[in-house]
Amino acid sequence: MHIEPIHILLADDDENDRLIFNDAFEEIKIKTVVNMVKDGIELMQYLQTPGTKIPHLLFLDLNMPRKGGMECLMEIKKLDCFKDLAIAIYSTSASDEDVEETFIRGANVYIKKPSDFEQLKRILTKVITINWQYHTSGLNRDVFLLNL
Amino acid sequence: MNSNALFSASFYLKVIFAVSLLVLIFISALTYKHSVSLADSTEWVMHTYKTNIQLDQLFSYLKDAETGQRGFIITRDSLFLEPYYTARQNVNNSFIHLKELIASDQQQEHLDTLYELINARFEQLEVSLAILNTIPVNTSLLKTSMYIGKDFMDRIRVHVAKMNALEMSFLEQRQSKYEQKNSITPLFSMLLLLFALSMFIFSYWKINKDLIILKQTNEQLRIHSESMAHAEEIGAFSSWNWNLKTNQLAFSDNQYRLLGSPPQSFEPNFKNFIQFVHPQDQPIVSEGFEHARSTNTYPTADFRVIRLDGAVRHFKTLSRLVPDKFGTNILIGINMDITDQFLNNEALKARNHELEQKNKELASFNHVASHDLQEPLRIVQTYISRLTGKEIEMMTEKGKDYIGRIKVSINRMRILIDALLLFSRTNRIESVFEISDLNLLLENAKQDLAQSIEQKKATITSVQLPKLNVIPFQIQQLFTNLIGNSIKYRKPDEPLVIRINCEKLTGADQHALKLGGKGKYYKISVEDNGIGFEQHYADHIFNLFQRLHHYDEYEGTGIGLAICKKIVENHSGLITAEGRPGQGASFFIYLPA
Repeated sequence: MHIEPIHILLADDDENDRLIFNDAFEEIKIKTVVNMVKDGIELMQYLQTPGTKIPHLLFLDLNMPRKGGMECLMEIKKLDCFKDLAIAIYSTSASDEDVEETFIRGANVYIKKPSDFEQLKRILTKVITINWQYHTSGLNRDVFLLNL
Repeated sequence: MNSNALFSASFYLKVIFAVSLLVLIFISALTYKHSVSLADSTEWVMHTYKTNIQLDQLFSYLKDAETGQRGFIITRDSLFLEPYYTARQNVNNSFIHLKELIASDQQQEHLDTLYELINARFEQLEVSLAILNTIPVNTSLLKTSMYIGKDFMDRIRVHVAKMNALEMSFLEQRQSKYEQKNSITPLFSMLLLLFALSMFIFSYWKINKDLIILKQTNEQLRIHSESMAHAEEIGAFSSWNWNLKTNQLAFSDNQYRLLGSPPQSFEPNFKNFIQFVHPQDQPIVSEGFEHARSTNTYPTADFRVIRLDGAVRHFKTLSRLVPDKFGTNILIGINMDITDQFLNNEALKARNHELEQKNKELASFNHVASHDLQEPLRIVQTYISRLTGKEIEMMTEKGKDYIGRIKVSINRMRILIDALLLFSRTNRIESVFEISDLNLLLENAKQDLAQSIEQKKATITSVQLPKLNVIPFQIQQLFTNLIGNSIKYRKPDEPLVIRINCEKLTGADQHALKLGGKGKYYKISVEDNGIGFEQHYADHIFNLFQRLHHYDEYEGTGIGLAICKKIVENHSGLITAEGRPGQGASFFIYLPA
């Protein structure tokens, strides 16, 4: 049976993070296509380039030069064509303010970057296997911040 | 003596004066009446004597008539009849006189009887004369007539005597009545006079006394006003009062001095005052003036004045409406020279701004610590986790050892960064105070540490704790850190016991601990039977990153107790520690009730 790969997009300015992220998906036994951008400006250009396939899942770092994750989140949510795009906040810190604000702005899940590679793999596996439509309907603040 | 007492004193004096005046008027009236009745009585005495004299005269005229007739009978000379006729006329005159004199009914009756008797006597005399005129004279008839005449004469004598007696009795009656009526008057007048006199003496004494008090009060008033003037000079303020009805304004001497002008050197009015006010602040003062005119209250106002010497000073005006005794609205106020306070305030504001700036820097440091420091650390940790995965197999034993040591160090660094974050978070000012049950917060802290408590078989006993106005999560953190501390530094061979006590602090204790404020404090103690510490480290242990042990003995960051101190300071409290090496440690937290 042919399964269409899951399209994943990561917006992160840290090269190491992008590398580790990619490594993790390579080791996960799920067919994925991972694309990466380096900041918010690149992200918005990428998404709005005609003919680009809209990814299933966007991993969004909050702290980026030029244009930050929060700004991108607000812009994306304003555009109707991205209403089905699931957004996972992927950040080093998980301060109460950031979690609260991204939740209000319509992000689907908040992931605090783990410091263990195996843990990262577990989290990413869980995130890409979530049925987003189902998850979103029952979403509340307690399950928003993903804990493993 | 206050003004009220003086007022009532003057009221009493008025009453005394009025009473004395009334008494004097009464005495005058009494004396007048007394002399009137005395004159009356004298008149009556005169009247009685007049009546009696008249009666005697009447009788004597009768006798004259009789004597004249007798002479005629003997001499037959008509010369003797002359007094007889004169007497008759005199009797009549006398009678008319008597009739006028006699007032009482009884005496009038007597007079009527006397009249009849006298008439009868004269008729008898006429009869005798008629007998004499017949020739020859009938001597026996004359004799008879003479006898009848004598009889009448006797009756008249008796009657006059009776009337005299009656008149005398009237006099006596009147005399006794008068005496009866007037006997008490002199004594009464005397007593009244004495009373009035004593009243006057009392009034004099009282006035004298009040005068002395008035003098003393005046002296006190003088001292008060002098000390007020000094107080104004010392305190750099001035007073003014403003009669809103007459629009009259009065300034104290110091008002002029504050403006750099000699006392009372210009007329105290609004126009003259506002000339000293800084042009930019003149609207504030004139608006206040208008406000006072329409609402009777002068708003508290801050403004600048330019003194005569050109110096700019900051003034503050405070006032209060004080209606006087007659209901006139008088605004009483003070102007304070607050230049020093104002400049201090400005300096404080600047420093505050600086502090806020510093605080912002600290917050950005917080961010750096939370994000930028954690990021490379996380990357290192992630790569190490990759190394310890597949790659570890290819390493020598030495390499594996190094990796292990790197891992331990990285972990400690992470713990340090987390603790530092926690510490900086306790600095936040926006935390909300609320009345919280400390028992509940302690219970939550025990829940946080449930696993450790269970593992180390620690026993925690606590008394009933109060409800206090605190930042709940911080106090919970405080309990967590202190209990965590006790667990960490327990004795390995003895079951850990932590006792938590609470008592209200006495005033003396509070003073000894230099805990200011008006309110009471609670003392909460957390004691354990752990390894304790040397007492001279008691202050040292609350400092950031200060530790008494090496990492290989006891893990720790040296931040936990620093956080405790920060939390207690956030609550305007105090934390102290007592250590007994080998026996245990006690922590005392003083929190305002």
